[in-house]
Amino acid sequence: MRVQLIRAIAIVAVLAGIARADGEVSVRGVYYKEHATRVEQPMIDARFDAGDGGSVDAHFLVDAITSASPGSGAANMPFTEKRYELGGGFTQQLEDHPIRWGVLARASVEPDYESGFFGGRFEHDFADKNFTFALAGGIGYDHITNAGAQFAGPGFTAISEHLSNTLLSGSITQVLGKNTVGSLTYDFAYFWGYLANPYRTVITADAGLVPERMPDYRARHAFAGIVRHFLPSTATTLIAAYRLYTDDWGMLSHTPEVRVVQAAGDDLEVGLGFRYYHQSGASFFKPVYPTVQPQFEPYLTDDPKLSPFDGETITARFAVLGRAFGFEGNWGDARAEVIVEYVVQHNRFGNAGIGHVALTVPFSD
Amino acid sequence: MPGVFRVVSVVFLLASACAVVRPHERENLTRPGMTSDRGPGEARFRQHQTGAREGSDGGTGEPGGGCGCN
Repeated sequence: MRVQLIRAIAIVAVLAGIARADGEVSVRGVYYKEHATRVEQPMIDARFDAGDGGSVDAHFLVDAITSASPGSGAANMPFTEKRYELGGGFTQQLEDHPIRWGVLARASVEPDYESGFFGGRFEHDFADKNFTFALAGGIGYDHITNAGAQFAGPGFTAISEHLSNTLLSGSITQVLGKNTVGSLTYDFAYFWGYLANPYRTVITADAGLVPERMPDYRARHAFAGIVRHFLPSTATTLIAAYRLYTDDWGMLSHTPEVRVVQAAGDDLEVGLGFRYYHQSGASFFKPVYPTVQPQFEPYLTDDPKLSPFDGETITARFAVLGRAFGFEGNWGDARAEVIVEYVVQHNRFGNAGIGHVALTVPFSD
Repeated sequence: MPGVFRVVSVVFLLASACAVVRPHERENLTRPGMTSDRGPGEARFRQHQTGAREGSDGGTGEPGGGCGCN
C-alpha cells in the first residue's frame, strides 16, 4: 500500500499544480486488521467547481483483502483479493432558487462480485437556509459468482446470481441556534435476488455441512438523528448521534455515538469518539440447525453479522494544516490527518484495529 | 402511514418555532466539525466496513448497496 500511497500523493501534487478550477484533491490510505482478515485500501477523491453553482466529484479506490475466513472463499489458506471501485457525481445549485440537485454513479469490480449503482439527490432550503429538506434515491444491480473459491475440484458447482437494490432517503436539517444544528434521516433500502454468501456453509444435525440458504428479499429501515453543538469559549465541537435500525429479517439495532472535536489554535485539531453498537440478530439465525429440511428451517445461515452481538468503537484523530509547517497558499491550506480506531466486536470476527492516513489539498485557479 | 404524517407534521411545526439565525451569525455553524467532521473517503470506508461486519446499515442518507460484502 505504501507504493500506491506515494503514487497517489504524486498525483495530488500534479493535479494541485495544473488544476484550473476551485476544488480539492484528497488521498487516503486505510489499514484494517482483525484476526482472520486484513484490508488495505488506498483511495483518491477529487472535487472541483464546474460552471455557475456546479460541482463535480470523483473517487477511485482499491480494496485489497487478505483473509483466511471461509466466508470470503478461503478453504484452508489465506488469499488476497482486490476490489476496484470508481465513482462520481455532479451537483448543481440553481440560480436564484434555494434548490440543489445532483446525480451520482458508482461501479466496483472484483473476481467474484460486480456492482453498479446510480442515484439522484434533491435539496431545498427554507427560512433563509435555517431549514433544509433533502430527498435521495437510487437503484443498484450486482452480479455474484463463486469464482474466488479456493476449492474448485470434483463436486464444485459454479454460481452466477444477481442482486438488485433500491434506496430511498429523506432528511431534514434544522439550525437550532447560532451554535447548534440538528438533522433527522430516514433511509429505506429494499434488496431482492441472491442475498446469500456463495462460500458460506452451515452446520446441520441431520446433513452436516450444507450451503447457506437465505431469503431472496430484504426490506431495511434506518432512522438516524444527529446534533452538533459548538462551544465558542473553548473552540470545542460536541456531536451526538443515534441510529435505530430494523428490517424484515427480524434484525433490530441501536447505535448511539458521541464525538468531540477540539481545535488547538488555527492549524491543529484533535478528536475523540465513542460508538456503541447492539443488534438483536436475524430471527432465523442459529449456531447449529437441527435439520436441513426447508419445511422446518426455511433459511440457514452461519453469518456472524446476523447473530446477536454488541460492540464498541473508540476513535482518536489528529489533523494539522500545512501552515503549521510554514507552507503558504494551497499547500498552507492542505490538511494532513491521522485516525486510529479500535473496534471491539463481541462475536466470531473478534476485535479490529483501523488506521487512516490522509492528505487533502485544495486548489484554485 | 397516518402516523408518519403526524410525526413529519410535528417536526415541521417544531422546526418553524426555532429562532432564525441570520447569515452573518453563522460563523460557528460553518466550521468543519459543524457541517461534517468526516471526509468522503473516511465516511465511505466506514460505511463499507460496518456493512461487512454488522447486520444493520443505512441512516446516512447516502447509497450503500452493492459493496461486495454479502
